[in-house]
Amino acid sequence: MPKRTDIKTILVIGSGPIVIGQACEFDYSGAQACKVLREEGYRVVLVNSNPATIMTDPHMADRTYVEPITAEFVEKVIARERPCALLPTLGGQTALNTAVELAENGVLDRYHVEMIGCDLKAIQRGEDRKLFNECMEDLGIETARSGYAYSVADALSIVEDIGYPVVLRPSYTLGGAGGGIAHNQEELELIVSQGIELSPAKEVLVEESIEGWKEFEMEVVRDKAGNGIIVCSIENLDPMGVHTGDSITVAPAQTLSDVEYQRMRAASLAVLEKIGVETGGSNVQFAVNPNDGRMVIIEMNPRVSRSSALASKATGFPIAKVAARLAVGYTLPEILNDITKATPACFEPSIDYCVVKVPRFAFEKFKDSDDTLTTRMKAVGEVMAIGRTFEEALGKALRSLENGRSGLGVDGHAPAADSKEGYRDLLARPTCDRIVYVGCALRHGWTPQEIHEVTGIDRFFLDKMADIVAVQEALRGIDVEQIDADAFWVAKRHGLSDAQIAFLTGSTERTVRARRKALGVIPAFKTVDTCAAEFASSTAYHYKTYDTAESEIADAPDEQQKPKALILGAGPNRIGQGIEFDYCCVHASYALAEAGFQTIMVNCNPETVSTDYDTSHKLYFEPLTFEDVMDIVEAEKPYGVVATLGGQTPLKLAKALENEGVVLMGTDADAIDLAEDRDSFAALLDNLGIMYPPSGDASTLEEAVHVAATIGYPLLVRPSYVLGGRGMAIVYDATQLKRYMAEAAKVSPDHPVYLDRFLESAIEVDLDCVCDGKDVYIGGVLEHIEEAGIHSGDSACCIPPFTLSDSLVHQMCDIAHRLALSIGVQGLMNVQFAIRDQTVYVIEANPRASRTVPFVSKATGVPLAKVAARVMAGEKLAHMNLPQNALDLEYFAVKEAVMPFGRFPGSDVVLGPEMKSTGEVMGIAPTFPAAYAKTQLAISYGLPLSGNVFISVADRDKRSIVSIARDFVHLGFTLVSTSGTAKTLKACGVPCKVIRKINEGHPNIVDMISQGEIQLIVNTPFGHGARADGYELRLAAVRYGVTYATTIAAAQAFAAAMEVARQDGLDVVALQDLKQW
Amino acid sequence: MSRLSDALLAGTSKPVQIPALLVLEDGTAFYGTACGAEGEAFGEICFNTSLEGYFEVITDPSYAGQIVTMTYPQIGNYGVNLDDAQAEHPALRGLVVRDMCFSPSNWRSELTLPQYLKHEGVVAIEGIDTRALVRHVRDHGAMKAAISTIDTNVENLLAKVRASESILGVNLAKTVSCQSAYMFTTGNLPASKAFALADPAPKKYKVIAYDCGAKRSILEGLVRVGCEVEVVPWNTPAQEVLVSSPDGVFLSNGPGDPDAVIETYRQAELLLGNVPVFGICLGHQMMCKAAGARIEKLRFGHHGGNHPVMNLLSHQTEITAQNHGFNLCYPSLGPLCAELSGGVSHHADDLRFWVERGIAPVVENKRYGKIQLTHVNLNDGTAEGMAFLDIPAFSVQYHPEANPGPTDSHYLFTAFTRLMDQCDNYLDINISQDRLAGWDFKRQGA
Repeated sequence: MPKRTDIKTILVIGSGPIVIGQACEFDYSGAQACKVLREEGYRVVLVNSNPATIMTDPHMADRTYVEPITAEFVEKVIARERPCALLPTLGGQTALNTAVELAENGVLDRYHVEMIGCDLKAIQRGEDRKLFNECMEDLGIETARSGYAYSVADALSIVEDIGYPVVLRPSYTLGGAGGGIAHNQEELELIVSQGIELSPAKEVLVEESIEGWKEFEMEVVRDKAGNGIIVCSIENLDPMGVHTGDSITVAPAQTLSDVEYQRMRAASLAVLEKIGVETGGSNVQFAVNPNDGRMVIIEMNPRVSRSSALASKATGFPIAKVAARLAVGYTLPEILNDITKATPACFEPSIDYCVVKVPRFAFEKFKDSDDTLTTRMKAVGEVMAIGRTFEEALGKALRSLENGRSGLGVDGHAPAADSKEGYRDLLARPTCDRIVYVGCALRHGWTPQEIHEVTGIDRFFLDKMADIVAVQEALRGIDVEQIDADAFWVAKRHGLSDAQIAFLTGSTERTVRARRKALGVIPAFKTVDTCAAEFASSTAYHYKTYDTAESEIADAPDEQQKPKALILGAGPNRIGQGIEFDYCCVHASYALAEAGFQTIMVNCNPETVSTDYDTSHKLYFEPLTFEDVMDIVEAEKPYGVVATLGGQTPLKLAKALENEGVVLMGTDADAIDLAEDRDSFAALLDNLGIMYPPSGDASTLEEAVHVAATIGYPLLVRPSYVLGGRGMAIVYDATQLKRYMAEAAKVSPDHPVYLDRFLESAIEVDLDCVCDGKDVYIGGVLEHIEEAGIHSGDSACCIPPFTLSDSLVHQMCDIAHRLALSIGVQGLMNVQFAIRDQTVYVIEANPRASRTVPFVSKATGVPLAKVAARVMAGEKLAHMNLPQNALDLEYFAVKEAVMPFGRFPGSDVVLGPEMKSTGEVMGIAPTFPAAYAKTQLAISYGLPLSGNVFISVADRDKRSIVSIARDFVHLGFTLVSTSGTAKTLKACGVPCKVIRKINEGHPNIVDMISQGEIQLIVNTPFGHGARADGYELRLAAVRYGVTYATTIAAAQAFAAAMEVARQDGLDVVALQDLKQW
Repeated sequence: MSRLSDALLAGTSKPVQIPALLVLEDGTAFYGTACGAEGEAFGEICFNTSLEGYFEVITDPSYAGQIVTMTYPQIGNYGVNLDDAQAEHPALRGLVVRDMCFSPSNWRSELTLPQYLKHEGVVAIEGIDTRALVRHVRDHGAMKAAISTIDTNVENLLAKVRASESILGVNLAKTVSCQSAYMFTTGNLPASKAFALADPAPKKYKVIAYDCGAKRSILEGLVRVGCEVEVVPWNTPAQEVLVSSPDGVFLSNGPGDPDAVIETYRQAELLLGNVPVFGICLGHQMMCKAAGARIEKLRFGHHGGNHPVMNLLSHQTEITAQNHGFNLCYPSLGPLCAELSGGVSHHADDLRFWVERGIAPVVENKRYGKIQLTHVNLNDGTAEGMAFLDIPAFSVQYHPEANPGPTDSHYLFTAFTRLMDQCDNYLDINISQDRLAGWDFKRQGA
């Protein structure tokens, strides 16, 4: 069946900001879908509030709306664009939920919009546990025994039938938010009460526990002719009980015999048919009892998902692309296999390698939260590794994580227990480090069987890990010069990195590498081709393995003459380094290809657009370590390497690569050092006569106290070489400084601690620019809403600046200009300023892509990363015809950070110099308040318009809160305050009710919050790590989903935004209607 | 292997390393280590792309005369359950893997794969770059090869390979067929698979199966749809079969060159038209030969569990298990009947021509009348199935019994019962519904 010609315009909904459970995999799938739909000749209209995506680049769709993904805003877009069809299955749960709402409230019918790719009933059957269970009953497929609870009492009576432990799942929540396992009544009551609150349907499923069973996932694609295929099977290393997003997973399934696998396959296909997934991709999850093969279905998602992105990368089968084509009427046999270009997409990929995915966590950012892994996802990112064996892939994956480790233990960073018995608890409790503890336990005499009994991890994986550990231990203490080629092959095939071999042999990584190469132990590069080499394929998607016979990296005939540019990606998403850097790398790839280069991407993050095999000419799915990158460099011999666009990960490789004679395209390593090194940077600023806060550094506590006394408190303290403000804090006195020094020493022991005078109440400004060594192009000047001291990644900011004078902006541009030229920047640079008393201070300058590049690019219509890449390729800014008035914009664009606090119960929600946000949204409007309002709507999906505002602020903020409080009253809100703030408000004639603090008995403010009586909270804390009343209060706000502001500036912006929102003056804006370069 | 590398492996699940060598007829050599029986084995090198089901592959009698390379690199992960065997003893000559698992894990596993290989005397080699090998075979075609743990000198072994017998023109079917007839009934269904499979249908049909190397799962498939099966040797005279007036005759899969299995297709000539006949793989080729068609050797055969096959009658695609090196040349069955072939009167080389047009073409065969092309391989446009329109018979080139592989084509067993029930539209079956019919999702093992 050919594609449909009765539809012309298709509305695609994206997934919004990066949050835990919904990350850039939807940028990958959404971008693929947009690309395919336009290729097929459709007009594509896109709604997505996330500016950091490739998907929202103006050239990806015909009409791009960076607007809140709410029924209200999408309806406005529908009214404006009148699409014929809506494709909701490629934007995660957010898109699906919005589509359901639009269908149920009649908007789709009213505007005659057809839902394609999936229909409402199918979504309901897939998402609603009751309907789902009925469908499974019809098919004869078992689900875990269960019942629905609408109250704690309901839950208790269900448990009487099925017994503890039970799994609790609130209906319709993202990534299983609010779910958990209850082993007793106390836990049950806690989780059920929270889950009912979180569930839009106010219901919680109470289910028989199948904790410890093997867990599998099938990625299925189906077309309207009824053809169904399994793209990939995935087996979880962590057994049931850990959310699949938090589990280490392996593809293909490793421990299923054919009869078991085929049974699961038949069941999966039947599930899609029964649920009514007419076309597209879905995943189906199963649990299998390891003792008798009993198979229970866990759930299915009638849409592409994180795991379908993983499956696409793991097999080379582009699920989202195919799903988009199926949605417009094609059938599977009509679609060509994108990789082989010769066989149809209607087949089941056969792979001849093993894929391991390991999640990346960020518990270090959320100190007081529980790091036990549960059925509620907590990972912020993931890495994928490909090897010819599980051992090889596991080693690669573990060294891809960017956590300082070099593989499974033996790298000097592995934690250890005191005794054999000491490992029992470390093994029993699933955590992000458990895999490392398994390695340690094996070293300390635990047998695989003993570990299996404690962890439930299948013996297959444990026996393989035992093999790895055995090889490691046999290598320990051997002189590296004694290692022969055969032994190197054995070590390498068991996944050991050069760094691990160096650690075991007391050598250095460079020595090991030299010895290994001298012996001819050089890896081969193989190809991901969907068919295990059965057919020839032309797609250059490669991975490294220690096979001797053959490498497959010949250049395509039409690429042979071109110089090669190797682009180093950003590695796993984590807080401080997210999709923004992937965006920059992808842009660089496009720009360098246009400039005549053969582009080669290296990255290990399966969620991204950069690791799509058709983003660059060649893709290497490899860890971003010195060893792995150098192996590729030696195989490909590129003209140059781009290391400044992928954030800190590639940047820290720059020096080592340059030492090996690799040419860095753009800013060189010395220039990077000049900007990173405090002393040389300070000297430069002195030289140029540029102001900066007084600063110093210290390697010991005594030194720190001494330096602090000279500079004066408050101080911003941080370890050297950081991204995302890791380990940063503001200290107000010597006690706080001492505590910080004790903790920070762990963060980065080899580097000193920096102390900067903290400019309290200063306005912070970000500036992004591109320099070609001669000219400097100012891409954008961003005024922060929160004052200096909040990490720039967590702070909302606005472009153009809304309170700064032209002369200040001019001053900053001038400083950036001089800095870029003096540092020797060839590409992007980001400068952070603080402005106090009309004086401009430079806080730092980073000669690399910054987090704000995509946002600035969208706001100004000038894709900065692309410009920078062209500069790296040798082009001059003067010849690019860039707009001269980029700062002169008709609209205000606001970027706001999205916080993951809801996922980390127990951690404080106060913003500080350490970055905690996972993603961002953008709002575009003719005024600042309207743009800000849009960002708040995009995050919380609603702004309070009436009710009670609770205000409690630190003493230093009491004066500035008064006028804001008055605005709230003016807007019709009732104010509620604790005694201190109330006193100030009443004195200034602002009416407010007084409520008890938490320690003043009941009813207090937390009682009011829990009863839903508070609509907005303004609470500013004092200092870092304050554990006073405010802490409990903010926790309650997170738990009950109450909107809160922790700075005066944010409160002010809120008041203005709510005024605009009430007037309903928020119109939608397409990027294509703004200025574009 | 060096002393140090042996020392590194000493604490692992790997046994003491015994050097082994794989040499292809064209001189390509791969060094590895032994992971099965020690010795020397000669055969035609081929590969299989199934991700799981290695044991069913290894025991498939159709691999007689061949050295099988598994493309998935880690083999043996879930061990061996003897109930999954497709024959009492493996018929392949040797096995090539990238990495053999000596510490498998699965609740049904009875022994490790290396233990099984040793016990059955199958020479196997691991530690070689199987992907490079597969690419070589893909580009240069199937060829003779040898694995040896006795003689690891390339020149010596190469000379032996070149002197070894080719499987072309050799009747391998007779080497794997049963020696005398026997009954295969519900009592022969393996207990350890019952946890996953639906109960067999009540016994209704009497079927005689020619055993040219029949996979056990085909016989099981017949029993499960209600057949009582009498398995007879590959060369049993048709008269003997017809005398016992069965409801249907089944022609099994089998190894090697179909042109060499003369006695079987001579019987097929006599059976066709006199009794409902269903053929799989070699059985299908026997029916083609009986109809006077030409069989060609494929450049590299179909060996895997992921080939898409278009059913030209239902227009649905089946993901199929495949294992054949020879294929029907469809035009050689006879000239097209234009009026039954959408007005087309000239044969297309690439049968995907018919897929694109949604037509199941019909030829006029000199011996048996009209024959319809029912199935086409979407990867390479080769013929995968046919139905005789004037006599009760149909056949497929691929493996509806799966084992290993996807079970999308299970409906063909149902179709055979409908053929025996004299349904006109016996092939008109809802594939996805029938796919479920063979399974039981709710049971668990003992």
